[in-house]
Amino acid sequence: MNLHIRHAFPLTAVTAALLAAFGPALAAESEEVVRLTKPESTVSFGLGYADTEGRRFGQYTGVNDQGAYGLFNADIVRRDDATGIWLRFTGRNLGLENRELRFEHERQGNWRYFVDFSQTPRFEPLIVSSVVTGIGSPNLTLPGALTTGANVDLKTQREAIGLGFDKLLPGNLNLQVRFRNEEKDGARISGRGLQGAPPAGNPAFGLFEFAPEPINSTTRQLEATLGYAGERLQLAGGYYGTTYNNQYNALNSTGGIAAAGLIALNPIALPADTQSHQLHLTGGYSFTPATRGTFKIAYTKATQDDAFVTGVPLAPGIGNSAQARLDTTLVQLGLTARPLPKLSVNASLRYEDVDDKTPIAQYFNVGLGPLSTFNGNNEPHSFRTTSGRLEASYALPMAFRLTGGLDYEEKKHNFSPVRIVTHRDKTEETSYRIELRRSMSETVTGALAYIHSERGGSPFMLTTRNDGSPAPSGNRVAPINIADRDRDKVRLSVNWTPAEPLSLQFAVDEARDSYGQIHALGTGVRKGEARNYSVDAAYTFSDQWQGTAWVSRNDTRQDQWQQAGSQATVPAPLVWAAALRNVGDSFGLGVRGKPNGRLEIGADLSHSDITDEYGQQRLNAGTPATVVAPLPDVSTELTRLTLFAKYAVQKNAGVRLDYIYDRFSTDDFTWTTWQYVVGTRMLQSPTQKVHFLGVSYYYRFQ
Amino acid sequence: MTIIPTVLLGAALLLAQLFPLFAAAQAPSATAPLAGPEAAQQAVRTCTACHNENWRTPVLAIFQTKHAVSADKRTPFADQACMTCHGQSAEHLKSPASPPDMFFGRKSTIPVAERNAKCLTCHQGGKRMLWAGSPHDSRDVACTSCHQLHTAQDKVRDKLTQPEVCFACHKEKRIEISRPSRHPIKEGKVVCSDCHNPHGTAGPALLVRDGVNNTCYTCHMEKRGPFVRNHQPVTENCAICHNPHGTTTANLLRQRLPFLCQQCHEASTHQGSIASRTAISTGANTLARGCENCHTQIHGSNNPSNLAGERTFRR
Repeated sequence: MNLHIRHAFPLTAVTAALLAAFGPALAAESEEVVRLTKPESTVSFGLGYADTEGRRFGQYTGVNDQGAYGLFNADIVRRDDATGIWLRFTGRNLGLENRELRFEHERQGNWRYFVDFSQTPRFEPLIVSSVVTGIGSPNLTLPGALTTGANVDLKTQREAIGLGFDKLLPGNLNLQVRFRNEEKDGARISGRGLQGAPPAGNPAFGLFEFAPEPINSTTRQLEATLGYAGERLQLAGGYYGTTYNNQYNALNSTGGIAAAGLIALNPIALPADTQSHQLHLTGGYSFTPATRGTFKIAYTKATQDDAFVTGVPLAPGIGNSAQARLDTTLVQLGLTARPLPKLSVNASLRYEDVDDKTPIAQYFNVGLGPLSTFNGNNEPHSFRTTSGRLEASYALPMAFRLTGGLDYEEKKHNFSPVRIVTHRDKTEETSYRIELRRSMSETVTGALAYIHSERGGSPFMLTTRNDGSPAPSGNRVAPINIADRDRDKVRLSVNWTPAEPLSLQFAVDEARDSYGQIHALGTGVRKGEARNYSVDAAYTFSDQWQGTAWVSRNDTRQDQWQQAGSQATVPAPLVWAAALRNVGDSFGLGVRGKPNGRLEIGADLSHSDITDEYGQQRLNAGTPATVVAPLPDVSTELTRLTLFAKYAVQKNAGVRLDYIYDRFSTDDFTWTTWQYVVGTRMLQSPTQKVHFLGVSYYYRFQ
Repeated sequence: MTIIPTVLLGAALLLAQLFPLFAAAQAPSATAPLAGPEAAQQAVRTCTACHNENWRTPVLAIFQTKHAVSADKRTPFADQACMTCHGQSAEHLKSPASPPDMFFGRKSTIPVAERNAKCLTCHQGGKRMLWAGSPHDSRDVACTSCHQLHTAQDKVRDKLTQPEVCFACHKEKRIEISRPSRHPIKEGKVVCSDCHNPHGTAGPALLVRDGVNNTCYTCHMEKRGPFVRNHQPVTENCAICHNPHGTTTANLLRQRLPFLCQQCHEASTHQGSIASRTAISTGANTLARGCENCHTQIHGSNNPSNLAGERTFRR
């Protein structure tokens, strides 16, 4: 039986039947017409099997142990053509831990509501071996001595429920309400540590204790928007409010290594409860078919008044909470126009003021002196960003278009009178762009763009001590986000269809950054480079067979220098360099085929080989005479092969086979030798290979 | 916890029972004229004479989509059906080799802005209000570059297939989402449109909440603050330290520690320490969590005391 019937005579009933799609008489039409024109529902269920533990493979699905897993998906759609009422139920991965459910009911053009549920696990890919107890709770018990532990599974899980309601109202108005409640539970890797050597005979790297952070929080978001959609004018305004509630505001530990000062890191404050309320209005107006103005204004008030952790001394007058408040004002204006048939222009202006209005108070004065690099005050951070863009585009012969653009951004930051990091209160960046683009052609389209940008700003402010004097060993590094920077970027993309069945894509971009230094030693980030190359090909062998292939290289580099140690008074301090590089080579192959009317098959193979290099080296003979030992490169390989075959047992039902081979390998040294002072270790299998086989039955109906 | 979705789904099913009753009361009676203008019926009859189930490019699946619901008076099929979008196409009707007045495929010779204007006739509001002048608009991205209309499932609107549509242009992201430290994009739990609105926003990188941090906070609200102790780059831009699309360093960090921290911090005490696999105490800066072995609360802390250097994000 050929299930993909090619009709020798087109269904003459099709026209009439499609007309019936506008009315209630569809039920009387032929089965084939119904199949072509009515929404289709699918249910599938089956079983999968993983042959071994795969911590990376199942990090976000729960398929991380050897064993069987249920495979169950459903997409049920009902539509009443006469009324436009849709009823939809979707269930995905219902047998796995990343399951999703959604129910939606709609009278199209009138009202809609939905409820959905999403579960997202995250399994820690490292194997944790520990005797710390109470993990996941705010009360940990740590061993008092080096102790070998048993394996502990660390995991977090998000469970989110979303609700939505839409209603079209008279007068081109519409109302949209969205609510989302997300619970997050579990524990994640964390610790506590102080300066100092581990006890004699302890193979740890210092006084670092494993203290996993408990997570039990609720995030809620509510948004209600009233919109207007006229022919020329569109508006949308409303409210967006959020709350974050953490069930635990402190992590308390008992036990632990009896080293001087270590237990002083107890309790550890956990993320505080916060709230925000935003009012916003967005609009657009089409002055003419070719001229349109847009805007958005928004005002947000965010607060944090969670009670301080108990068990620590509070300075007089600071109260029981920070009474923190952050007010954000956003204004965006845009205008696009086509003053000449071939010329289009586009301008925008954006202003964002993030004003931290948290009261400043002295939170402590212990250890405070004139030469302290702190003054005991909290440090609210405010910043104001003003940016603008002007772009013009002119149509050239042969469907080419030349575009030139100018971008400008000014960012102003506030600053504390006492600083331990070099600062500047204003940065300015100007970018110039030129692009030649061809968007319309049967054979070759593409774009070539060049961007040059320059970032500077106000003079750098010295790191300053409590008495106002400059910190003697400071002012060596311009922070990367405010440093002077020149950037050049070239981007080329070409889509080429040399023959009807073959299409090719070439994409190349290269960026070079040059950073300014603020000290004669030349320390700080000096330059960065990024190169991305990719070639994609798609070939249609026949109506039944298609293939794809791609290859990419991504190469980023950053050179930075540092001064070692605290060398305020050393005339020739040691300066060392890190030539950081991340280079990845990747390729992918894919094929889809329908060998006959019953069988559909597909295969995808992807592979990435990534290397991180650190390139540490001494740059001078300065003091101290510390050996700058190179760090070994870290290589990571990722390979995944997926195969599927769908065999139609009958017209609307069949069997699907899935096979996945997943391989992860790394020689990352981050945790291989590490041991916490209490004995906890983190390990990862350097090579992880998983074979997963799934068999499922599917049934379609309308 | 799992009881809650069950209850909500139950409530939704109950509403489903109620609303059809309401809808039925408003539905046209059996004797009412057929919904949809005569023009739409004529257009379908005309177009499907050729564009039927045997046509080389399947189009009939559009009848399974919302565009074909004529009960919704806003849709093309409540107006002139195919001709609402493709125009009257008199030349095409006379000579099929001539293209329709408006066609959207890869070989279209109609300027992208004109093609998009046809879609924006109905879809100008809502999330597309800021399309004009947005990066995709100014780079001649056609609506149909991403959206498929004559299929039952538009790939870009399905969480499992959306990324491959975006990766057709954003090639480097295709690689990054498979890096060892990543969001669950491959699993369909986080998709491009969770963070980006490709139709235009009032912020950089088309981020849905008009800025980097506000977008990140929708899922990572514990980082929001303000706290007693704030970390300047954290409050300004999460992307200074993180690459949300994927990296080889844990927690989506752009660089391994201490190198990342040393891009701002200078050698006033131990900050300039050489990355070491053997050093202890403050020198243990590249194993385990690196600098965060001590500075665990790097996103900020609401701890008001300073008994043991907590002001430097130690607790």
